[in-house]
Amino acid sequence: MAAYLIRRLWQMIPTLMGVVLLVFFLFKAFGGDPAEVLGGLNASKEQIDAIRQQLGLNEPVWYQLWLFVKQIVTFDWGKSWATNEAVSNLFATRLPATLTVMIPLLVLEVTLALPIAMWVAYRRGSLTDRALTVVTTVALSISFLVYVIVGQYVFGFQLGWFPVQGWSDSLWTNLTTYVPLPVFLALLVGLAPQTRLYRSFFLDELGQDYVRTARAKGMVEGVVLFRHVLRNALIPILTNIGLLLPGIFVGSFLIEVFFSIPGIGREVLLAVNRSDFPVIQAVTIYLAVLTMLINLVVDLAYKVVDPRVVLK
Amino acid sequence: MRCETLWTRNCVGWNKTMLLSIQDLKVAFRMGKVGGEILRAQAVKGVSFDIPENTTIALVGESGSGKSVTAMSLLNLLPDNAERTGKVLWQGKDLLQCALPELQALRGREIACVFQDPMSSLNPVFNVGQQLCEPLMKHLGLSASAAIKRAEELLGEVGIPEPKRRLTSYPHEMSGGQQQRVMIAMALTCAPKLLIADEPTTALDVTIQRQILELLGKLKTSHRMSVLFISHDLGLVGEIADRVVVMRHGIVREQGAVAGIFENPQDDYTKALLACRPSLEGNPARLMVIDDHIAGRALQAQTRTKDDSAPVVLEVRALAKSFWLRQGLFGKREFKAVQNVNFKLKKGHTLGVVGESGSGKTTMGLTLLRLHEPTGGEVIFDGQNLLKLSDRERQVMRRRIQIVFQNPYASLNPRFTIGQTLLEPMVIHGIGKDTAEREQRARSLLEKVGLDGRAFGKYPHEFSGGQRQRVAIARCLTLNPEVLVLDEAVSALDVSVQAQVLNLLKDLQDEFGLSYVFISHDLAVVRFISDEVLVMKDGVVVEQASAAQILAAPKEDYTKRLLAAIPRGYHAAV
Amino acid sequence: MSAVLSADGAPEGAQQHSEGVWHAAWRRFKADRVGLLSLLVVLAFFLLVLLSGLNLVAQNWQREVGVPNAPPTLLGPAPPQASGVIETPSGPNVDLSAIDPLAPRYKEWDERAKKFQTLETVKSQTLPFGGDRLGRDVLQKAVKGTEISVFVGVAAATVATLIGVVLGAFSGFFGGKVGDLLEWVYNVFESIPNILLIFAFAAVVGRGVESVVIILALTGWTSMYRQVRAEFIKHASREYVRSAEAIGASTMSRMFKHILPNVSHVVLVRMSLLTVGFIKAEVILSYLGLGVRVDQVSWGTMLAEAQSELILGHWWQLAAATLFMAVFVTAFSLMADALRDALDPKLRGLE
Repeated sequence: MAAYLIRRLWQMIPTLMGVVLLVFFLFKAFGGDPAEVLGGLNASKEQIDAIRQQLGLNEPVWYQLWLFVKQIVTFDWGKSWATNEAVSNLFATRLPATLTVMIPLLVLEVTLALPIAMWVAYRRGSLTDRALTVVTTVALSISFLVYVIVGQYVFGFQLGWFPVQGWSDSLWTNLTTYVPLPVFLALLVGLAPQTRLYRSFFLDELGQDYVRTARAKGMVEGVVLFRHVLRNALIPILTNIGLLLPGIFVGSFLIEVFFSIPGIGREVLLAVNRSDFPVIQAVTIYLAVLTMLINLVVDLAYKVVDPRVVLK
Repeated sequence: MRCETLWTRNCVGWNKTMLLSIQDLKVAFRMGKVGGEILRAQAVKGVSFDIPENTTIALVGESGSGKSVTAMSLLNLLPDNAERTGKVLWQGKDLLQCALPELQALRGREIACVFQDPMSSLNPVFNVGQQLCEPLMKHLGLSASAAIKRAEELLGEVGIPEPKRRLTSYPHEMSGGQQQRVMIAMALTCAPKLLIADEPTTALDVTIQRQILELLGKLKTSHRMSVLFISHDLGLVGEIADRVVVMRHGIVREQGAVAGIFENPQDDYTKALLACRPSLEGNPARLMVIDDHIAGRALQAQTRTKDDSAPVVLEVRALAKSFWLRQGLFGKREFKAVQNVNFKLKKGHTLGVVGESGSGKTTMGLTLLRLHEPTGGEVIFDGQNLLKLSDRERQVMRRRIQIVFQNPYASLNPRFTIGQTLLEPMVIHGIGKDTAEREQRARSLLEKVGLDGRAFGKYPHEFSGGQRQRVAIARCLTLNPEVLVLDEAVSALDVSVQAQVLNLLKDLQDEFGLSYVFISHDLAVVRFISDEVLVMKDGVVVEQASAAQILAAPKEDYTKRLLAAIPRGYHAAV
Repeated sequence: MSAVLSADGAPEGAQQHSEGVWHAAWRRFKADRVGLLSLLVVLAFFLLVLLSGLNLVAQNWQREVGVPNAPPTLLGPAPPQASGVIETPSGPNVDLSAIDPLAPRYKEWDERAKKFQTLETVKSQTLPFGGDRLGRDVLQKAVKGTEISVFVGVAAATVATLIGVVLGAFSGFFGGKVGDLLEWVYNVFESIPNILLIFAFAAVVGRGVESVVIILALTGWTSMYRQVRAEFIKHASREYVRSAEAIGASTMSRMFKHILPNVSHVVLVRMSLLTVGFIKAEVILSYLGLGVRVDQVSWGTMLAEAQSELILGHWWQLAAATLFMAVFVTAFSLMADALRDALDPKLRGLE
């Protein structure tokens, strides 16, 4: 096990280096002159030159790359170009808001999709299948934007059940007042495709030989589905959750923008609009690291779920 | 130890209690709608036979005969789109009319099943103990601790060593033979009256097959069970069955006591099936083919003695191939797939290479053509060491030594027409002046291998397995090779089709002076076609001698075991 | 010579004429009524896109032909706004010619003005699908938006497919060092959450249709790569490829003449999924102001405007954009489903 962990961590290094290189050169090659952005429209040439000096832009490329790497390792990104707020502070203050919305959403999505998908797989017949497919397809063809726009209008504006926007400092208030509407709308859109995916997992398992053996042993359909099939379907479901997990840290920037939730997604969007490069770079790199760590944890979790897995 | 002594034969008198009576069973599969009408494929077209208690009934047929479908339909283990009609009477009750809960009470308790592929039939995420306890707790109402104890006993009964430890093992941690023993243990948990065994040994090596058959025989006697044994192998069936039911294309061709079927078959198909097996007794020059037999055509015997003074066309010295597997943190471990293989192949002769799975025979064959790069040794072909050739020289050499693979369904590109498949090698090596000449050559080769010239424009999926193998052989012939490596080329084919392809190979060898390296796990087939035989185990050559010698006087233990494991068919008990 | 063929038993229902995979798929596709209908709808949209691209329809979408927020024709004109009435003064104007510096020139300008004609464009009170806040025809905007959004989706999908197929083929077929290098590239792109990557690219590349295509293609190729690589790994060890190697076929030949046709149906299905995904992504990008330029219109920009209009009760731009998008994406998705079922009947549940 230890050997496996070490090997995996060792293998992460080239990928991490690749991400750093990608971000660095992307912004270097296409990002325009940071000095001009910082200086603003009315800066004089001397001021811009001074900023360049400060940022180390006159140094050779490899030195700038070295500075970049140093920033990453020491978590010191300096200040945001737009708000002058320390970038590291950004994470600390914005992350909780994002997680307050995303964790309930992920939990609800998985725990609702699972039983619905099982029920649909249990009652499989061409009519339910076809109906589900058509409904899902139509529902998915409408952009999430529309759902949010209409949802906000109907539930917030017209009916007044939920506030249209807002956030507070108390976790409880957030969970009960400000989170329900966004989570509800996101669930509306995300549940159908998730159910379809899980249903396909269940159907795949139902076609396997061991299901025939279970039936031949005299097990009722319920046992076959809930014990034999579900246990095996957990393997692809775990994969799926593993893919969704990194996303909860970025959050749904759309939700955050619409509902004015001060989360990371919204910060990144603001940064993009303002060409606030340090923020974008920092978020990108740290989230890449987080994704790799999550993948490692998920791979370890496979060992629990699938006895055939051998971690070498 | 011969199976017959363990599968004690029962006098099949008619005064036995009837367990199962199948009357005019028909099974059809709904295949979707075409133009508003439901399309059905009729798999079983009216089958009737009885299973008395404490009797072994063998259901025999080739692929597509409907034997598996018949067996699976008894307990309704078929897919959702199956439709059954007829009567299946289990101790008076019609199983086809039964409600599902009644059927579920019967399954695993009175009637149990053992399937063909134990790896996929066992649930991969539960351990052996859990899977065994399931029917014990459901049907017999045992508590968890009592069930575990009983499970341990059962594992011991089926011959699994260290049963207590094995209770917590997972299926993938066991070998194929052990997995099948677990399946058998699972079937026996509630002491069923009838055991349905669907090709239980087909996926296993010959020596393991022998062990499983002995086990089943022992258990059948001690539990006084009836067994419905499904197989395609008449030789196997002859050793273990009391009664035989022969099926073809969904109907029963003949049924009766095993002695009658083997010694005095009535139906033409049964006769042909018996005749076209390559057996270890006798050495015909050619095998009977089913349709020839049915049409009453006489066997054309042209025994051509092989010329012992023919020149050596291929010489292999100390051939070795290893694979490197990762081990530990950064280390590698060597896996020696092939070690020190030596042989000389004469022109017009056939070298048979026999071994079970994992023996390295296939790897050796692929290495001869450099489809695997060897780690040592020499392959001398026409004075040149094949393993030291440059890429360009190797390309030229490719024309002279070719290979036919095992799986006819995978060896032809599904998106190429037969014509494209045949033309490709000629285009690559520049044979023939222009397309017209190449096409003509392709068509004539098609006819030579026994296919219609019209096959030229068709796709592989329109042909059967045997026909596809012929196309694969024709493809090799386009290059005028001198040596042909046949890697289990007939193993995936039905017995009658196998006979045709083997006859074809012999004819081509006679006509073109081809030399064969014939790789197979089936000693009877190897014996039919080979002049010299190489026996391999775990990458090493165990014994090497002429075909006659290997069979008459095998020297090594392993060879003797291999020979003993081969089913011989029915012999009247002395 | 064994010449008997019939004993082999040709499979039931063998075709009289030979049918390749695509013919068989087309035959099955035609039998699926829903799929056929979807195909027709998609083709109709493509025709619309073509016409719009050639500027034969909706080229004047920017003209303000209606009153601001004109309602759809079906609803009838909006009631006139009761704006505060300013009392027009009675009595003649005060004569300011003594102090007015421009007074001497009025006569000259009046003469000159008479030479020109002013065309009073009559602004319609209602438009077929209504008007936006500037009075532009929503129907024309929707059509033009269709052109942009569909073009972006299809173009980005095509580029992403090309990248994914080439990289996936080399990675899956060769394995070893080449495969490792390409896997590294893939891992780098995959480690960064998709939206972030899009934002990062958007931050540096700027706005416009071409930019959006590049952004989406460069961030979206990974799923195609993954699938093509898996297929090539599977096929590379198949016996028909081994046979091709045995007869001496070159590496390129084996990869692209042998394996690729066997993988093309997978690629096609994935490409249609990519198209749908990219269209939806473009809509979101344009909504956020990171997509098309200010002087271009897409479904996304329409939705952006619709949000503020909705509060005032003007719902028609939202409806138009949603309608066009829903119809096209639904039809495209259903067509892709039918295509996948036609190409691999095993996937379809047997009726």
